[in-house]
Amino acid sequence: MIKQQNQMHATIKERPVSTLDQKPARAEGRKDPWSQMLEKVGKSQDREAYHALFQHFGPQIKYYAMANGLSSHAEELVQEVFVSIWRRSCLYDWRKAAASTWIFTIARNQRIDMLRKMRRLSAEMPVETEDLWQIPGDNEDEPVTSLHRLMSERRIRESLSLLPEEQTTVIAKVYMENKSHQMVANELNIPLGTVKSRVRLALNKLKVILQDQNV
Amino acid sequence: MTQHHPDSLTLMEFSAGNLTEPHALCIRLHLDQCSHCRSRVDMLDSLGAVMMEQQPQVTVSGSMFDSILSRIDSEPAVQDLSGMRKNRVGPLEKLLGTDLNALPWKRQLGDLSVLDISDRFPGQSEQVVLQKLTAGGKALAHTHRGEETTIVLQGAFSDKKGVFNQWDFVVLNQQDEHKPVALEGDDCITLSVLSAPVRLTGTFTRMLNPFIR
Repeated sequence: MIKQQNQMHATIKERPVSTLDQKPARAEGRKDPWSQMLEKVGKSQDREAYHALFQHFGPQIKYYAMANGLSSHAEELVQEVFVSIWRRSCLYDWRKAAASTWIFTIARNQRIDMLRKMRRLSAEMPVETEDLWQIPGDNEDEPVTSLHRLMSERRIRESLSLLPEEQTTVIAKVYMENKSHQMVANELNIPLGTVKSRVRLALNKLKVILQDQNV
Repeated sequence: MTQHHPDSLTLMEFSAGNLTEPHALCIRLHLDQCSHCRSRVDMLDSLGAVMMEQQPQVTVSGSMFDSILSRIDSEPAVQDLSGMRKNRVGPLEKLLGTDLNALPWKRQLGDLSVLDISDRFPGQSEQVVLQKLTAGGKALAHTHRGEETTIVLQGAFSDKKGVFNQWDFVVLNQQDEHKPVALEGDDCITLSVLSAPVRLTGTFTRMLNPFIR
């Protein structure tokens, strides 16, 4: 409880960081510029905002596709992700996720979906990609959780730079190259236990509140 | 309220989209009922977003935005997704097409019935099994060949490690010998994913070392 209060306190004190020229309105102080843009797309199908999102996230998603071994389909994935962003933008709520987190999950789901289609599995599977990978309960109001969500992204970005390279390397391989901890261990030629402890150390240092209750 | 949760590393593999589909299903079913783990995955998704942001960026071809625009223009207007999502059928119902208790269970020894649903996951090497232990019933003591991931879908069972209630998440391996007992009141139904037997590795090693045999 005390922790939560501190976090709320910290949010209020923090200044909104904006990389864009325009100053966010006071009431929107906690929204980052990309989340504001995404909201505009959702609310009023704003194509200028959509284009700005494309210019910012398009190149990231293209690299994501290539790192995942989808080189020859990288631009196709970028397209799928952006069509999906347009379609789903009406569901976006800045209080629940920063735009970058929301877009990352769409990129991940589209990547999984594309691989499924390549293996021609989707026709045989009654369960869709999103049924398995999307976090349920998007419609619920979980105000405390959503505060966590906004806080955590900012905090992660700030503290990631302080991690030793061997830890960020492992995390990057898991997230960007679709590698299991076991595969990362094989590739770096280190024991699985070492990979796991690097990830655990990193998560602790990122202060991502992820206590394992039954370990 | 669930007491037994997946560990951070497994949730990270879920967030990264690296788990096999049967494993993802177990996590997803747990997340449906566990706000604690939902917020953990939220944070891991943010970590994924930050990782993506910090990688090198690759120039996207100049004409792509126009083709995206023409695609969204050629499609019907944005539908109201919000209503659709609320009425969505859960993944397990979709997968099974019927109520858990109405499934064609196969009676095993004693109080245990099983149903192998591996064929619902084409292209996966893991075995996916539903198990039902009659209320108050006992399973025989057993160990596990590989790693077994289990989520309780209905009722509860106990073994020497504790009580596992609905939506609790358990991972057992070769070291764990257990003798689960279903609690009274309701049949206990679990979904388990068993990792493929490691025999393949053995064969491969033998092929690599023909002179050692």
